[in-house]
Amino acid sequence: MDILFISKYILVIAIIILMLAVLRASAYKSTSMGLLGSSVIVNAFALVLLVGGQIYNLQFYRDISLALIFFGFVGTIAFAVTVGGEDK
Amino acid sequence: MIEIIQSVLLIIAAFLIIVSAIGLISLSKDTKNVVYGRIHIVGLFDIACIIAMIGLGQYLLAGIYFILAPFTAHAIANAYWKKEDRENNVDLMTVEQEVDENHPFIHPKEKMQALESENSEKLKADDRFSVTTIEIDEGE
Repeated sequence: MDILFISKYILVIAIIILMLAVLRASAYKSTSMGLLGSSVIVNAFALVLLVGGQIYNLQFYRDISLALIFFGFVGTIAFAVTVGGEDK
Repeated sequence: MIEIIQSVLLIIAAFLIIVSAIGLISLSKDTKNVVYGRIHIVGLFDIACIIAMIGLGQYLLAGIYFILAPFTAHAIANAYWKKEDRENNVDLMTVEQEVDENHPFIHPKEKMQALESENSEKLKADDRFSVTTIEIDEGE
């Protein structure tokens, strides 16, 4: 098997492990921790889509990944501003 | 040769992701400033993502993510500091007590200080407290 192919699968397995760890960590009592966990999971899923698109040669996965990264960022910033409130 | 470089980058990214996962789990809840520590660990995951994107040949995505990730971390830390950080933020340490103004015995401290300070120039130390007597006729 190709070494690049194997390394892509290793990366996907590592990302899945990270997703489980982030799920565990985001069960903390504060709202910000849940926000952080959801942000990490969105970015990790975007990376998985990127790898999957390269493995199965699906080009539109890259566009979905770009949309996830960009709109995940926008949502995280919006929710953080809502939680933080206005400046005094 | 290019495939080997890509594979090395992907394996480095996978290693960093595993390290960040272990770090996220190993921080206990009782650790001081644990949320900031976890935000810091997520920064490691962000860099691993950028390395993986470079390894996959998506340079534009890596550049966008490289710019956006610090904003996300800062926004979350800022929100936590403003509303939930009771260890460090002085404004969140004071607990506001609801005082019933109609209570006959308990009065707010600020109100009493304001009452004292209104006539403080006129009142001397001996005249500050006045004694009133009520005449009670026991015969009635």
